[in-house]
Amino acid sequence: MITDVEILNEFAHHEPGVARINNGSFGSCPASIIAAQKQWQLLVLRQPDEFYFNHLQPGLLSSRRVVQALINASDVDEVSLVDNATTAAAIVLQKVSWAFSEGVYSRGDAVIMLHYAYSAVKKSIQAYVSRAGGHVIEVPLPFPVSSNHEIIDEFRKALSLGKSEGRRVRLAVIDHITSMPSVVIPVKELTKICREEGVDQVFVDAAHAIGNVDVDVQDIGADFYTSNLHKWYFCPPSVAFLHCRKSPVSDDMHHPVVSSEYGKGLALESAWIGARDYSSQLVVPQVIDFIKRFNGGIEGIQRRNHKKVVETGKMLAESWGTCLGSPPEMSSSMVMVGLPCCLRIFSDEDALKLRRHLRDNHRIEVPIYCKAPRDVELGREWSNLVTGYARISHQVYNVADDYYRFRDVINRLVDDGFHCGMLS
Amino acid sequence: MDPHRENGAHGPVSKKARRSSSITFEEIQEEFSHHERNVARINNGSFGSCPGSVLAAQREWQMLFLSQPDDFYFNRLQPALLESRSVIKSIINAADVDEVSLVDNATTAAAIVLQKVSWAFSEGTFSRGDAVLMLHYAYGAVKKSIQAYVSRAGGHVIEVPLPFPVSSDAEIIDEFKKALSLGKAGGRKVRLAVIDHITSMPSVVIPVKELTRICREEGVDQVFVDAAHAIGNVKIDVQDIGADFYTSNLHKWFFCPPSVAFLYCRKSQVSDDMHHPVVSHEYGNGLAIESGWIGTRDYSAQLVVPEVIRFINRFEGGIEGIRCRNHKKVIEMGKMLALSWGTRLGSPPEMCSSMVMVGLPGCLKVYNDKDALRLRKYLREFHNVEVPIYCCKQLTDGEVERISSSVITGYARISYQVYNVVEDYERLKKAIDDIITGEFHARLLPVTD
Repeated sequence: MITDVEILNEFAHHEPGVARINNGSFGSCPASIIAAQKQWQLLVLRQPDEFYFNHLQPGLLSSRRVVQALINASDVDEVSLVDNATTAAAIVLQKVSWAFSEGVYSRGDAVIMLHYAYSAVKKSIQAYVSRAGGHVIEVPLPFPVSSNHEIIDEFRKALSLGKSEGRRVRLAVIDHITSMPSVVIPVKELTKICREEGVDQVFVDAAHAIGNVDVDVQDIGADFYTSNLHKWYFCPPSVAFLHCRKSPVSDDMHHPVVSSEYGKGLALESAWIGARDYSSQLVVPQVIDFIKRFNGGIEGIQRRNHKKVVETGKMLAESWGTCLGSPPEMSSSMVMVGLPCCLRIFSDEDALKLRRHLRDNHRIEVPIYCKAPRDVELGREWSNLVTGYARISHQVYNVADDYYRFRDVINRLVDDGFHCGMLS
Repeated sequence: MDPHRENGAHGPVSKKARRSSSITFEEIQEEFSHHERNVARINNGSFGSCPGSVLAAQREWQMLFLSQPDDFYFNRLQPALLESRSVIKSIINAADVDEVSLVDNATTAAAIVLQKVSWAFSEGTFSRGDAVLMLHYAYGAVKKSIQAYVSRAGGHVIEVPLPFPVSSDAEIIDEFKKALSLGKAGGRKVRLAVIDHITSMPSVVIPVKELTRICREEGVDQVFVDAAHAIGNVKIDVQDIGADFYTSNLHKWFFCPPSVAFLYCRKSQVSDDMHHPVVSHEYGNGLAIESGWIGTRDYSAQLVVPEVIRFINRFEGGIEGIRCRNHKKVIEMGKMLALSWGTRLGSPPEMCSSMVMVGLPGCLKVYNDKDALRLRKYLREFHNVEVPIYCCKQLTDGEVERISSSVITGYARISYQVYNVVEDYERLKKAIDDIITGEFHARLLPVTD
């Protein structure tokens, strides 16, 4: 089993002195995988023609098979490798766009998404769906949240409303784990509701999921499912998979960068989108070897990360007199911890400024979220309202000291009477 | 002054001292020492090449990201991308850095331009049956992109037949004018012309400035020059060429690692509606900014452009010097081979770049694309020679029986880049001679299909 010292060495390239409690944004990659990636890169540079003709496709197929097993996909043809979930979203949404343009969908047919959908995905929906004549339904979600029921209720309500007057709902875009604020969404239940309510297709944006929570695509039952391997699955930037359940529709999925393999199926199209560096997609088998060095493999890592982050979240909430944004069972290896109200985090700008302040002045890297207070609440009792949350992550390289530092810095800021209004 | 530039104006700084003299032969070999030894690598055109010092700079950028990715994202990435774009703007003589976007490769650039055409059809700006024109020798991936975005959306595709072998620009210009005329017959509108600056297979330098001018005269809405091979290979002046869109790969002949390309979009009303197909936070902020963030990925290849300039400036005459010497050498090698085999070059020197098509002896019987691939594989596996083979006459079985062995049906596309030596080409010569002496030909070679 890998020792603590070995883990430290694997992540020795992380900037020393930084409390890096934001694995959720950009992930992390151990030194042995960086080295493996370098080997692949050198192979290409040595003799690129030979690599292209003999090594690339078998290498990509190996990676895809590993992913297939990991997510319990029934067929490796269903698994494509792409740069990131943002690219996967473009693939799914471009297909929707064509459906509108070609008259398969009618003007006004709808796509439903969560209010907390990732902003890049929201823009993609604007670029491909709204522009093509589709109607967009947004599901308001509560935050803080205390149970799956709250989410399921809102979803049902929004879907009902959206379908009123006989509107067809063509696609539901559902996050498995929302980004900001970060909450685990009951995707299996929501997918089932979509089927019951006649939603044509379901796309699960699970950018954060793999290596963070269990993923079983057959069990979840969605049509499309994507997750980034460079966030919680130790791959270098960047690589993600897009799973497309076999169906007549999935035969018409295309990578937007069209190359020689056009028309041969998404998996093959994605495996060659012109000359570029595919090395991050080739190290997946080697990541499995890295993970095996941990007790319990990826499940062990997931469990321990989750346990630690909840423990730590509670420790911070207690110290600051705040709360968690969601209960442990709705958190992953990330948890939203309320920040003291007196910090006066009242806007997205405040949140960003505080984040920068923590980075520049205290060497703490943690994303801050602002739950914008409603004006009436603001006027009344803002001093008791938690409006800001820190999204803390726990990955194998984190140590308790990272979080103690954060705890102490916030407490000191509070004692000093600091608030976001002081930041420029 | 940007306070985040403390590590050096161009990010990781090359540790080599300033040179007073040009790079030496030994230093060049050292820079490319990662190339597989014993391989006569005469195919720079396909996948390009990257010197060790640029690779080292790339690794520094990669480690910078891995060490503190948030800091990199918030403070380092955008200024570094802007720096690369500014360098390219100068090299290609673009009027404004906003016109220069960085993308993975020319294939991506094509998707961006063609997706815009697709929307125009879908939204009724273009009418069903309006045309897009391309060359017969357009790159295979671009042809598929035209199929995927233009044909599918209701556009009509006109293909310009081109002669090969070819002896003058006039031949190409004539065919182009003819095809354009034919295409416009019946009042059809030609919305876009896709013109290669240097075709891939067979490789010929196309008179793009002249063809662009003809397009303007003939009322073609827009011109997209696919110049995947051009930068570092031939001179580029985008204002002089006058096209609306121009793309070239920096990892082919401009010493960048895989992969990075630029897409130039001349400022106009239309160019404001260009979008990267991978939509992210910057959607709507202009293509250059959109392309600067398309989700978490490795942008390091796009950040080393300043380091590449430092490398290039170690050569006498900089990039012009490299280009001229490469061109001169490849013609010399081409003529040497053609003379030895009793064949010919596929185009005259003035229509060649740092690549040239050299006719292969007819007795090699390269009668279709499969034969060409087989011969290429054989040369790689049995002679350690890497060179792409082209078949210019696809023959039916009947034609195969009748054809004389003196007819040239196959060509080798040889490249010359700074790391090449004369021995590389002599090895190709010997390999071909051995095949002929052994009375083998493309169909008899011991490789599996």
